[in-house]
Amino acid sequence: MIYVPVFLPFLAALVLGLVGSPVGGAIANAGLSFVVFLLTLVVFTAPGSGLIHADGLGLLFGVLTGFIALTTALANIGYVRGAQARLATPLWRLYHALCQVVLGATLLGLYADNIGLLWVAVEGATIAATLAVSLPRTASALEAAWKYFILGGVGIGLALFGTMLVYLAAQPALGPGLAAMSFAALSAHAGAMDGSLLTLAFVFILFGYGTKAALVPLHGWLPDAYAEGPAPLTTALSGPMLNLALIAILRFRHLMQVNVSSGGTAMPPGPFLLTLGLASIILTGFSLSRRRDARRFFGFSSIEHSGIAAFAFGIGGAAAIFGGLLHMLLQTLVKSGLFIALIRAAGLRGSTAPGHYGFSHLRGMIHSNKYTAWLLGGSIFALSGLPPSGLFASEFIIISQTVQRHPWVTAPLGLGLLLCAVAMLRNVAPLVFGPAPPHTKAVKAAPEMHLVALHLVLAVGLAFAMPRPLFALLSTVAGALK
Amino acid sequence: MTLTFSLAHLMGGILLLCGFLLLSQRRLAAMITLYQVQAFTLAAAAFWQGYAQSEVNLYLTGLITLALKAVLLPLGLREIVRRFNLTRAVETAMPMALSMLLGVGLIGIAVLVVLPTTMNAVSLTREDLAIALSVVLLGLLVMTSRRSALAQIIGFLSTENGLVLAAIGMPGMPFVAEFSVAMLVLLAFLVVGVFLLRIREHFDTLDVTGIEDIERRGR
Repeated sequence: MIYVPVFLPFLAALVLGLVGSPVGGAIANAGLSFVVFLLTLVVFTAPGSGLIHADGLGLLFGVLTGFIALTTALANIGYVRGAQARLATPLWRLYHALCQVVLGATLLGLYADNIGLLWVAVEGATIAATLAVSLPRTASALEAAWKYFILGGVGIGLALFGTMLVYLAAQPALGPGLAAMSFAALSAHAGAMDGSLLTLAFVFILFGYGTKAALVPLHGWLPDAYAEGPAPLTTALSGPMLNLALIAILRFRHLMQVNVSSGGTAMPPGPFLLTLGLASIILTGFSLSRRRDARRFFGFSSIEHSGIAAFAFGIGGAAAIFGGLLHMLLQTLVKSGLFIALIRAAGLRGSTAPGHYGFSHLRGMIHSNKYTAWLLGGSIFALSGLPPSGLFASEFIIISQTVQRHPWVTAPLGLGLLLCAVAMLRNVAPLVFGPAPPHTKAVKAAPEMHLVALHLVLAVGLAFAMPRPLFALLSTVAGALK
Repeated sequence: MTLTFSLAHLMGGILLLCGFLLLSQRRLAAMITLYQVQAFTLAAAAFWQGYAQSEVNLYLTGLITLALKAVLLPLGLREIVRRFNLTRAVETAMPMALSMLLGVGLIGIAVLVVLPTTMNAVSLTREDLAIALSVVLLGLLVMTSRRSALAQIIGFLSTENGLVLAAIGMPGMPFVAEFSVAMLVLLAFLVVGVFLLRIREHFDTLDVTGIEDIERRGR
């Protein structure tokens, strides 16, 4: 059963890549994403066994991935209608095939109970995403794709080396064979693994998957990739990919933590994660205020939120990991919604091509369309983490855990979060209420704006009125990974 | 057993030597030749490990390495060099001597990191791993010390050879052949990518509107 949501997108990609008109492909893509979303709900009843075997964490983020893929694909129909002339039909086919490959690879990585399969999934997602960035075929897009390819390729190479070292570290506990690559078996026997080898492995894993999660100093590819690729695929759908890399890091961190607490020779993983997380938050705080292109700006914001999650995992303990996972969940919802709104806003101002996302170009959105403007402003406000945004809840948990466990990093964390929040809020007023560029006409809102509203409502609702089953699931997952 | 050791070490040594010599080459053709020698040696090492561990999987890896990495990829790279007339020396980002010194330092780090942490592992694996990590790091150094895209790719290819060397040395590791295929897909995309980039530059059909866009709106 669990094989269907993972492999259906790959099969669909073959078909979408070969036939269909641009708009037809977009509609088929949305239909397929809907089916996959339903399937990610169905797998709760049949999580499978063996190589592809979803645990609570995989199931939860699988549903999130399915949901984001669905809303992105729905909004994508309007995007393709407006942007049809910019690419040749074969390139649109490739684009929709890549949407499905990214979806399938992300689900494969989330559901895989095997460190090798996880690596293959991340590699597949990276190749698909880089190809997508290069699609506009402009010089800047090719340059961004090349940067992504080289950095992503190095990251993937390092992650593979780390994966092999984990296998070698598991030899004393599990012996040769498949068991030494299964997360379930590894975490059950992590205490008996070779600690020093595991530490070495974790460094490679952290730098490998950290490149994919865009942690500073490995973040160089992300702002360019966000700014140059075809918007829906490289921005809205990129959240689940960052989550996949963060979850991979979290799982390996867990192995190391178990080894440490059961008397193994591994080094505690906390300091590594705290350093990279803090560096990401603070660097973003300083670079956000200097961005003039909205896609680059929110790309940096993704780096910040990856940093917050890594920081939470570094703090350790069930509550901090709960906070980190909740933060990833809510941030992905808000950010994807924001990008859908942003693409629409650029569409209202004439073009959704890269280069039409400057803040000066988008300002005074309220003069173009009120609904779009409010949702755009609301999404940016939500990202800042001030109440009533859902992110307030997760950041509050993380900060209170920091005060409790590692009080000396609270001050830099607070400073970083403050800098980022200020940079976010500074943009809300001009973007929503500022003077519009000349010749701006009021236009009707597009139907996909309701999706953005849905994202925002979900992000607030899940944080402040979390359904009991979700709370139970998230607590169990965080408790098992502490 | 002793023959297993000495032959495996000999081949590991040749791989490392090729990885190191890549640092000292200024011409693309010479870099490609070195890479090809490295890939041939890697294929031989995979066959030898397959024989020593009696693993069919490793023979398969060796076959893939031989056919694709030692023959097909170098052919493609040479074709790019010939078609775009890239025979002149490659620009380097740092002086040759400095990069070679750094290379020696990286090999030292690899040995110092791997040997003490793997005390419990089989001795063949330990030394193979130290060599493999050195090749990986040297490949990354080649990538950072060159400016041309093609030279960076050759550095990446060499890194990947180091990864496969590590994989074939792991006792009974599953999916080795699958890993090398997955890596090859990435490599193939890289080579095709540089080919397309070159075509755009060469025939001067580069779409410069993108660059102007970036300049106008700032980064």
